[in-house]
Amino acid sequence: MAFEYVEPATLAGAFDALERGGTDAHVLAGGTALVLLMRMGLVQPAYVVGLRRIEGLREIGISKEGGLDIGALVTHAEIERSALVRRFFAPLAETFGRVASVRIRNQATIGGNLVHADPASDPPPMLIALDAEIVVARRGGVRTIPAAEFFRDVFETALEPGEVVTAIRIPPPVDGTRGAYVKFLPASKDDFATVSVAVTIRLAASGVCEDVRVALGAVATTPLRARRAEEALRGKHVTPEAIDAAAAIVVGDVEPLDDGRGSAGYKREMARVWTRRAITQLISA
Amino acid sequence: MSASTTDSRIHPAIFDSNELRLDGREKVTGEAAYAADFELPGMLQAAFTTSPYAHARIVSIDTERAREVPGVHAVLTGRDIGERRFGRRFFDRPALCVDRALFIGDAIAAVAAETREIAEAAAALVDVEYDELPAVFEPDEALAPGAPVLHEHVDTYYFHAGKRAAVPHPNVQGRRIVLKGNVEEGFARAEHVFEHSFTTPRYHGGYLEPRATVVWIDAQGIVHVVATNKAPFALREQFAICVGVPVGSVRIEPAYIGGDFGGKGLSVDEYPCYFLARATGRPVKYVRTYLEDMRSSTVRHPSRTTIRTGVTRDGYITAMDAKIVFNGGAYAAGKPAPTLLPGLDPKLPYDIPAGRLERTSVYTNTVPGGHMRAPGDVQFIFAVESHIDMIAHELRIDPLEMRLRNAVSGERSDFEDVPYLEPSAREMLEKMREASHWGSPLPSGRGRGIGFGVRHIGGGKAEVTLRAHPSGKIDVITGAAEQGMGILTLLQRVVAAGMELDLERVNVIREAAMTQTPFDPGAGGSRQTHVSGNAALDAVRRLKEQIDANGWPKNGALEVRGVFEAAHGHEAAPHGFCGFVAEVSVDSETGVVEVLDVVCVADVGTILSPVAHRGQLAGGFVMGLGHALTEELRVTEGRVENPSLADYKLPTQVDIPPLRFVNIQDIAGPGPFGAKMAGEINTAAVAPAIANAIAAACGARVTTLPLSAERVLSALRL
Repeated sequence: MAFEYVEPATLAGAFDALERGGTDAHVLAGGTALVLLMRMGLVQPAYVVGLRRIEGLREIGISKEGGLDIGALVTHAEIERSALVRRFFAPLAETFGRVASVRIRNQATIGGNLVHADPASDPPPMLIALDAEIVVARRGGVRTIPAAEFFRDVFETALEPGEVVTAIRIPPPVDGTRGAYVKFLPASKDDFATVSVAVTIRLAASGVCEDVRVALGAVATTPLRARRAEEALRGKHVTPEAIDAAAAIVVGDVEPLDDGRGSAGYKREMARVWTRRAITQLISA
Repeated sequence: MSASTTDSRIHPAIFDSNELRLDGREKVTGEAAYAADFELPGMLQAAFTTSPYAHARIVSIDTERAREVPGVHAVLTGRDIGERRFGRRFFDRPALCVDRALFIGDAIAAVAAETREIAEAAAALVDVEYDELPAVFEPDEALAPGAPVLHEHVDTYYFHAGKRAAVPHPNVQGRRIVLKGNVEEGFARAEHVFEHSFTTPRYHGGYLEPRATVVWIDAQGIVHVVATNKAPFALREQFAICVGVPVGSVRIEPAYIGGDFGGKGLSVDEYPCYFLARATGRPVKYVRTYLEDMRSSTVRHPSRTTIRTGVTRDGYITAMDAKIVFNGGAYAAGKPAPTLLPGLDPKLPYDIPAGRLERTSVYTNTVPGGHMRAPGDVQFIFAVESHIDMIAHELRIDPLEMRLRNAVSGERSDFEDVPYLEPSAREMLEKMREASHWGSPLPSGRGRGIGFGVRHIGGGKAEVTLRAHPSGKIDVITGAAEQGMGILTLLQRVVAAGMELDLERVNVIREAAMTQTPFDPGAGGSRQTHVSGNAALDAVRRLKEQIDANGWPKNGALEVRGVFEAAHGHEAAPHGFCGFVAEVSVDSETGVVEVLDVVCVADVGTILSPVAHRGQLAGGFVMGLGHALTEELRVTEGRVENPSLADYKLPTQVDIPPLRFVNIQDIAGPGPFGAKMAGEINTAAVAPAIANAIAAACGARVTTLPLSAERVLSALRL
């Protein structure tokens, strides 16, 4: 497992290094995913570019527009514990607290998590439900990719060669927005989700749903936004029947895989059950 | 029996206080040396080329490119070392395959190089031409007409200390039938006959330390082996036979073992590493990755059990006919029993007036089966204890009451027709009733279930040497491998209690397994406290005699050796009875089972090391909980699908429910000071207790382990 390791001090240095490494180059942030894949022989990089010396990727801040900016190298534990994040939208902090174990959360970064693109990962559904954007830099430019469009397949993202995720930008939720992330763990409580659901919802005083976002994890090769279910609820009274109907729609949108965490059929059904439970839990909170 | 067992039943106060483990400080500070910690000058690292096919003929092997890699010292194939097969009883597993590979992961070539990376790179360059053969993955495929025969020259294999029993099919590893009474007549007497089938999957031991070894040959020709093997004296013999050296020139060096759970009774990589050491003249080390360990060491046998039982309308058993088929995998090497079945004949805590018990293990092209905590019992007790509840349900008899009616007592027994001495089955069931508030109402969606079992207390031979010094101190010399059960601390306590000395005056020394070292059979079969403990007591008796006659030694040390030997199963003896009552809730929409409360009632005799004892019972439960709910080594067409602890889910701290223990200590066992056993007393009864609780909670009967939420949900909808 011999490879060359470089730690540039600037983003420009990282772009140079990535160019030099070409297709054999891998970026190392927290390392919890990459090192594991290397140890299992699934990734054999010739060239590893460590980001940890680069300034400016570790901050959590509020933008002029009131949105939350999280640097790519901020760890899960830092987000989980951040008073700023909790004030901004507490369910976001709680979602990061559901990832793996405290040892992993202390090391793994938000940028690394997203680029790893594990479809069962916890933060992506919540970031999608919050309309987050991924800020991506390359030599001579910066672009943003909506979280819902960032994931392309298992371990595959919309990142182009030479690009580095630098931040995650989350627009301010409209006042009154509630959110929840449910992680269904039918076997060990220390596991990847069999199915996960993130919901944000805003209700009018009348009980009519003004806005809603539903995103699911572990039910397809990428996290999914359940737009048809959202449409079924938007502008309607959120009655148990309406929730049931929306949850039933989700079943047709998911494309789960058979694996050790359940058959495709079971996961489909659990997507319905947990979508219903997540929304029900939120509106009765 | 040579130990003074009568005297030994007086319970000294030393056993009332929690023990301070002799190996505790070394282990928590990281100083303890495990096999992977051994470093020697000039040491090379090994790597292996393994079969990607479940069944293939090896057409040719070209090692030239591998040998040319700088830093490579040797590349060996089965053709280089010849037919070198090893095993615990039956030597059917090759150190390196010669002409056929029988499972994915079978070792084809071995490389020794300056570094692990070089060795792995070279192993990847070994060019093997395979001719893929039809493979069999399940026992019924292996026994079907026209199935490929996995071991064509099985008659040429070595069988240690005895003779292999005849088998009905070339793909059968072992078969044993136990008959008691007139079975036909028993069924004729029955008012109802019930038949049910059960399946259990492969489980991996889940020990923290993957297998590792270092082998070197010194200038005198002595072969030194550092091994993750819990039975070093047995390994010494197996090793000498396999590689063809005198047993006197093999020395198994002491190293701590990071968890065993039965699997580490078999050594695998030690053999090819010996040939690499011999070829290079250097020490050779190999440390498995966890992936390798899960893919190609040994696993608990998957099983299918069918039980037919005749009962009266009041639920009294008149006859039982049980057939168990184990998937033995590619080799029987991991099984020490002469029957080549996992474990001895399993015991039941019930009176079976007439019975037939047929057990068969079958060769398939899958990862080999081996021993794992309560081998055979886990599979059988799940089946029987579920079956009893299913019968009780049909007959509308309370499941605990049905067990009480059949509880073994007096001179009665199960299939083997060998009485249990002082069977505590009824007492245990009454304690379970009391401690679990059995019968008290529960909210809807909750239920209680019972699982009950019994096991022999392991026998065998052990020796312990005591050396009394003029300083007033005593050394205890043992060849036991400390695989975590706490044997070193236990020997210290037994000797201190027997000699009536403070613990500080008793020191325990581990010695390499070699000719002059006191023999130890190793942990396994729940024997170590019983036999090694009694050997220590025998040594105490001998030392006391000498001191009584001549006084404490004044010049030089006084040395005595204690010996103890007892039969291993199949005879009238005290047994360990143990049961659980579990309370669960079931989520009727998801099938998720939550275990809310568990009480374990165990007939354990005198407790000698309270902390280790509690650890054994708690650990035995947690292993059973994993078997019940979360664990399964999934194998598809011979390929292990989840060879990592990220995907093979052992329960972790957050999964463990409130757990209560009721220990029955007033029925003395055969161990020192009346001890019984703990290591394998309770694992098997966990899964049926939970399965029965699920059925009581919601009516869903799951007959396949693990009792996953998905299976519970499917059963709910039947």
